[in-house]
Amino acid sequence: MPPSGPLARPAARGRLARQRARTAYLLLAPALVFFALMFFYPIGAELTTSAFTGVRADEFVGFGNYTRALTDPAARHAFLVTLRFAVGVVVVSLVLGIAAAMILNQRLRGRLVFRGILLVPYLTSVAIVGLLWRNILDPELGILNRLLGSAGLPEQNWLNEHPVATIVAIAVWQDIGYATLLFIAGLQGIPETYYEAARVDGATPWQRFRHVTLPLLVPTTVFVSVIGTITALQQFALPYLVTDGGPGDASDLYVFRVYETAFGFRDFGYASALSYLLLIVILALSIVQLRAGRRDHGA
Amino acid sequence: MGRERLFPGDRVVAYVFVLLLCALTVLPLLYMVSLALQSDAEVYAGDPVLWPSSPRFDNFTALFERAPFGRFFVNSLVVAVVVTAAHLIFDPLVGYVFAKFEFPFKRTIFISVLSTLMIPFFVRMVPIYTMFSQIGWLDTYQGLVAPFLIDAFGIFLMRQFIAPLPDELIEAARVDGASELRIYARIILPQAKPALAVLGLFTFVYQWNNFLWPLIVTSRTEMRTMPIGLTLFNEEYFTQWNLTAAGAVLLFVPTALIFALTQRYLVRGIALTGLK
Repeated sequence: MPPSGPLARPAARGRLARQRARTAYLLLAPALVFFALMFFYPIGAELTTSAFTGVRADEFVGFGNYTRALTDPAARHAFLVTLRFAVGVVVVSLVLGIAAAMILNQRLRGRLVFRGILLVPYLTSVAIVGLLWRNILDPELGILNRLLGSAGLPEQNWLNEHPVATIVAIAVWQDIGYATLLFIAGLQGIPETYYEAARVDGATPWQRFRHVTLPLLVPTTVFVSVIGTITALQQFALPYLVTDGGPGDASDLYVFRVYETAFGFRDFGYASALSYLLLIVILALSIVQLRAGRRDHGA
Repeated sequence: MGRERLFPGDRVVAYVFVLLLCALTVLPLLYMVSLALQSDAEVYAGDPVLWPSSPRFDNFTALFERAPFGRFFVNSLVVAVVVTAAHLIFDPLVGYVFAKFEFPFKRTIFISVLSTLMIPFFVRMVPIYTMFSQIGWLDTYQGLVAPFLIDAFGIFLMRQFIAPLPDELIEAARVDGASELRIYARIILPQAKPALAVLGLFTFVYQWNNFLWPLIVTSRTEMRTMPIGLTLFNEEYFTQWNLTAAGAVLLFVPTALIFALTQRYLVRGIALTGLK
């Protein structure tokens, strides 16, 4: 802060700086109280609770909930299903997102309208998305099977036969517009001169894609992958709304399990321990994201 | 600008791909609207009904008779408006302080605030639920909004936006004897309007659609928000998908309107900020 004119005398400057600092703290105070109460206290309380068990979380078990989680087949299953879900969502989003972005980055008539349309599901409530697809895909009553039937085609039973793949598809359906927009931004950051140089050197379209587009999209790809993974690991609403974690426990995603443990079985201690374990995974991914971001800016 | 063409004669392939993708996006939503206007018989007709022969707007009346959808709608509106207003008040104020003030421990405080971005909601839901049940905030509006009133991403966004504004502007106003709040309201905020618009839009839509926390913190029917009210309605009247679809249309209308009116802002906002 460079004060000037009559205020530049050292004593006055010191007084002014102190006054400004006081104003700053005063303006920050409500936000700091908020973050303390709604973020830092809960993280601490969650850690404390994870050392207890029972419906009132008043029976001390130390690390008991953690050892239980690590040996609990249901928790392990939920984690593995969630990993499969996340990998599915990210891989399909990357492939579709890059393809859609490359096409919508062309000088196509109406490309802005197309981009807008792809974004609608992203802004739509997951309650609508989940219920709508459950209705469409319902093996007996859904519109899809009645359409397939009247066209003489074999009917589908995806919700029961491939529940995880089905919620992967629904999640991609909802978020593909977001990934596409990020990739379009990434493509627009690639200077056209690179392509001209490649063309002068006689590179085929595939070679230009492979050696110009893809390498220069790496930062966007890392961003979309990590953010997509972090989001997918926290997916709750789709198993809750579409499959109820089933059939059996086939689509029992991790946060859905945490929710059931806490608000179904009222085992807040165990739910807290489960939460902390997933938090560690997500924090590790966030650090990867931060490192990658720093490298891009440094380069 | 990277306008690299894919391959010669790519236009046809490009259009086919894009139209397919858009059809896959739009048709399910159109079917939802159609379903909302179908009679009970049409919903299950063996010959699938793509569009009702005569649209039944009575479905909406039936919906309001069976469950307090008016109340759900108002609840959602209250939550979304209050949280959006809080963001628009606090995020730029805090962002301004981090952009333009010097004070002890600034870096530490800023990093602590940013670190909250790495805390997913599911980690907070059990302790906040426990805390709110102790202070009697379950099934209340304050319970619905309190966990979301300020957001580190919004603060960061506003700080980035305000930091490049020239210090001379602020200094000149200060020499003229303007108070800090006046400087903020008269000089900083007007300059930050574009960023505020994006922040407000996303906050509103996010809160309007929020699912997990309203599901947890409310249990009385009259405190449910639209997404939860609709889900529970569907559990109860699961055979009448036309009514559920009517409710879904009601839930969809505000975001659709916002989208139609502000599409340019939203699209640019996502591209610029990576806002999620």
